[in-house]
Amino acid sequence: MDSKIEQLLEKYWKCETSLEEEKELKDYFNGNDVPEDLKETAILFKYFAEQKKLGVSKIDFDKTVRAKAVPVEKGRVIRMIFTTAKIAAGVLVLVAAAYLVRQEIRKSYPEEVVDTYSDPQLAFEETKKALMMISKTFGKAKQEAGKITVFNEAEEIIQKGVAKDDDEKIEI
Amino acid sequence: MNLEAFENRVLPSKNKLFRFALRLLNNAEEAEDVVQEVLIKVWNGRAAMDQINNWEAWCMRLTKNLSLDRLRAQKRKATDSIEVGFEVKQEGLSPHEKAEITESMQQVNKLIASLPEKQRQVMHLRDVEGYSYNEIVEIMEIDMNQVKVSLFRARSAVREKLIKINAYGL
Repeated sequence: MDSKIEQLLEKYWKCETSLEEEKELKDYFNGNDVPEDLKETAILFKYFAEQKKLGVSKIDFDKTVRAKAVPVEKGRVIRMIFTTAKIAAGVLVLVAAAYLVRQEIRKSYPEEVVDTYSDPQLAFEETKKALMMISKTFGKAKQEAGKITVFNEAEEIIQKGVAKDDDEKIEI
Repeated sequence: MNLEAFENRVLPSKNKLFRFALRLLNNAEEAEDVVQEVLIKVWNGRAAMDQINNWEAWCMRLTKNLSLDRLRAQKRKATDSIEVGFEVKQEGLSPHEKAEITESMQQVNKLIASLPEKQRQVMHLRDVEGYSYNEIVEIMEIDMNQVKVSLFRARSAVREKLIKINAYGL
């Protein structure tokens, strides 16, 4: 065994050993029966083995990494929620605006326009009254308009007068 | 890469990354910071990670680069602060023997820390982590010949010093 180890060790120093052979050396030197003359070499291989046991010591290391790394994923969700909220807010503003405008338009019409009579008879009477009023006004307007014919008569007289004048001039 | 792949494939390599960062920085707290930075970078750049087939080597390379950046920013040598504790868990040893082993391990640690940067890295990757030469080429971004030469020099230097220690005592 020892001569084999010595051979392997020689190869090791020359960097000719394979990973398997190096593992064999590690196993051998990490055992307890190492001869005195190889004690220093054993320390080296023990050192390598001990080094491999080292690791991150912070208990919350993984947690910290997750906390710092995962928000990217969370951020995506948050961003999505924000986008949805923005769209929802936009829609809400449009709906509110439409509602208010509608209300304004309704307000601008006089209330009489809105159907207020529930009794047909009463409604008929009111309508008749309204129509009569319009008719009366129209009648009055017609009478007044009749006065415009005065202008026509006047125009006729003037035209006749003008024609007569022309005839007299020619005779002169 | 999704969160599950990250948790199962990337996060468990944290100790390996930590050891490599520690080898370069010789400071546990800074090494943990670097590893954290590496993992977060990997997560943030996960879209590009799908094209990488050996992501572990990629993480190791990132660890190396970030550690060296730190060293450069601080303008200090890694050997300035050595504060690695050892706990020997071997059974059947007297307290005196344990103390002796701990002391010699510290000696070995100093010895390796005093190696040039490249040799130190290659030796760590090969002798502690057990990477193949090809993987070391990928991690270190140097050619195969440089890897072999660096390892040979590192092992020779360590051997020489071990012999000295052996000859003159601890």
